[in-house]
Amino acid sequence: MANRLLEVEGLAKHFRGGGNWLSSGGDSIRAVDGVSFSVEEGETFALVGESGCGKTTVAKMILLLERPTRGAISFQGKDVSSFRGGSLREYKRLVQAVFQDPYSSLNPRMQVLDIIGEPLRVHQGMRGRDLRMRVGELLENVGLNPVTASFFPHQFSGGQRQRIAIARALALRPRLIVLDEPVSGLDVSIRAQILNLLVDLQRELGLSYLLISHDLAIVEHMSHRVGVMYVGKMVELATRDEFYGNTLHPYSNALLASVPQPDPDVPMGTTIGGEVASPINPPSGCRFHTRCPIYLETNMCREVEPEWREILSEHLTACHKVEPAVV
Amino acid sequence: MPARALEQMLRESKEDDILLRVEGLKTYFFQRSAVLKAVDGVSFSVAQGEAVGLVGESGSGKTMTCLSLMRLVPQPGARIVEGEIWFKGDNLLEMTEQEMRAYRGHRMAIVMQDPQTSLNPVYTVGEQVAEPVRLHLKERGQQAMARVLDSLRAVRIPRPELRLGQYPHQFSGGMRQRVVAAMGLTTQPELLIADEPTTSLDVTIQAQFLRLIRELQQDSGTSVIWVTHDLGIVAQMCDRVNVMYAGRIVESGRVRQIYKEPQHPYTRALLDSVPLMGTRREKLYQIEGQPPDLRSIPEGCPFWPRCPEAMDKCKEQYPPRTSLGGEDFVHCWLTEEGR
Repeated sequence: MANRLLEVEGLAKHFRGGGNWLSSGGDSIRAVDGVSFSVEEGETFALVGESGCGKTTVAKMILLLERPTRGAISFQGKDVSSFRGGSLREYKRLVQAVFQDPYSSLNPRMQVLDIIGEPLRVHQGMRGRDLRMRVGELLENVGLNPVTASFFPHQFSGGQRQRIAIARALALRPRLIVLDEPVSGLDVSIRAQILNLLVDLQRELGLSYLLISHDLAIVEHMSHRVGVMYVGKMVELATRDEFYGNTLHPYSNALLASVPQPDPDVPMGTTIGGEVASPINPPSGCRFHTRCPIYLETNMCREVEPEWREILSEHLTACHKVEPAVV
Repeated sequence: MPARALEQMLRESKEDDILLRVEGLKTYFFQRSAVLKAVDGVSFSVAQGEAVGLVGESGSGKTMTCLSLMRLVPQPGARIVEGEIWFKGDNLLEMTEQEMRAYRGHRMAIVMQDPQTSLNPVYTVGEQVAEPVRLHLKERGQQAMARVLDSLRAVRIPRPELRLGQYPHQFSGGMRQRVVAAMGLTTQPELLIADEPTTSLDVTIQAQFLRLIRELQQDSGTSVIWVTHDLGIVAQMCDRVNVMYAGRIVESGRVRQIYKEPQHPYTRALLDSVPLMGTRREKLYQIEGQPPDLRSIPEGCPFWPRCPEAMDKCKEQYPPRTSLGGEDFVHCWLTEEGR
């Protein structure tokens, strides 16, 4: 098995709020509530779920943009919360991010040279000719002409901007890149360009990706392993082939059935009713029980939180209805 | 009966089924330094009860085509410069603004992309859904409310009696999109234009909404124009599809036909560039470059700079319409020359 790069253990983030104007409601927004997974060297791990499931909050904690309420993140075997000074700087160098919207993630007043060059100047003190050379090299890596280093973001299309964001993420030779919906703001014909670029870069540079997406077709194309989240909890985790071939959790099944397939001969499956539950005072027991099509009539699903367990080798889920195949 | 007369009769009866026919529609934006040809000679038709897709990337002119149908192109700036829009026997482009109002929101309605901006935050949902009822059906009070309740029920909003008195912010995104659909459907329009109505919705909520529109369409026989860039939605929802590129329809056909045997290189490229669940491709097909700037659309076929099969001819002259049987057609020199 490959080396473990990042490991997340029982991660939780509770926000204040959810009360009315008389009370703050305490820490009652449970955006993330006990999530565990890992990202191996050179693999793409995908976090899938609908809005409000907490996938972006998980990413923010990994990027040190939010402090976890509970749980631990370790990188190359070391606890991230123990990093200070040099080790912290090193972590920030090795873990980079590309966000959804290339229109708001690039400073409109900065030239491309400065956008991509900034991390190089800050972390490595690179200046002048060296800097220009390295930025030119990075632009070429992502399929842009090095001449464009003097351009400003508005001179680029959405797809090209996303390439710039990728070049910036690559500047410090990271090990892990968090990709938060990297193509959802792009046109169909441009999406393929960016996805192909990401796959190529991963192969060439041995990068690991944490891909956050709601698009299950893209996830199948890109990832090695998949984790599905629902209202702050992980409900299923498996290798790609296992997940798409032998889906266990009813929510994962519903997600897969909801995708309109670009093939008129593959009709849409039966989806589920209701809406994603709120992370403010989430449902008791299994959080999915309010929408679950195979909900147990005994009060089990409503009252008891299902255990997170390994059903098959490397295939975990939290559902009362699913029985382990291996004992 | 002689064959010719029979043919004539068949054609006429087919004509009767056509709800909307657009002929050579051109909508341009006039800017100080340039003319943007957002819609540049678009022709298509929608039969009674049919669902037709307009597919394309941003800037392909699909939304501007729909706004032209409603005669709601942004003013000032844009103008419909040419064309005919026949709604049954009437040319919408020859109507007065007063006459047009009888169509908008009554015989044809539009559901927009963003439910956030389509609803007024300071009116209750009931008042907003009732507006087209009051305006077009001239119903008031109890009668109007009964109709509003019916439409909220039709779009499966739970507890409509209670929801009717609430404001848009008390609704979730999916529920808001249903309210907007209810607004469009209360007057039982003959044509519904759905302009990317599900882009802001979550996957399971999108699936619910798509199913809902399909059921409503089956029940009422409404024709629908689906404007989208999502080839999955077109495959699931439409009978016919028109593929747009740089303001023109480059290929038109029945959905099955187009998905099985796309003729235009752009259509083919689009279909090959999306990841398909269940079929693993090492690499996605990649269309190089990007959609053209409408201020400077290339000479000839606007797709040639990105087309892997471009010939000299493509750079000089826009390809004529090549019929593919029935109403299906394509604009491509490859097909034209090949026959």
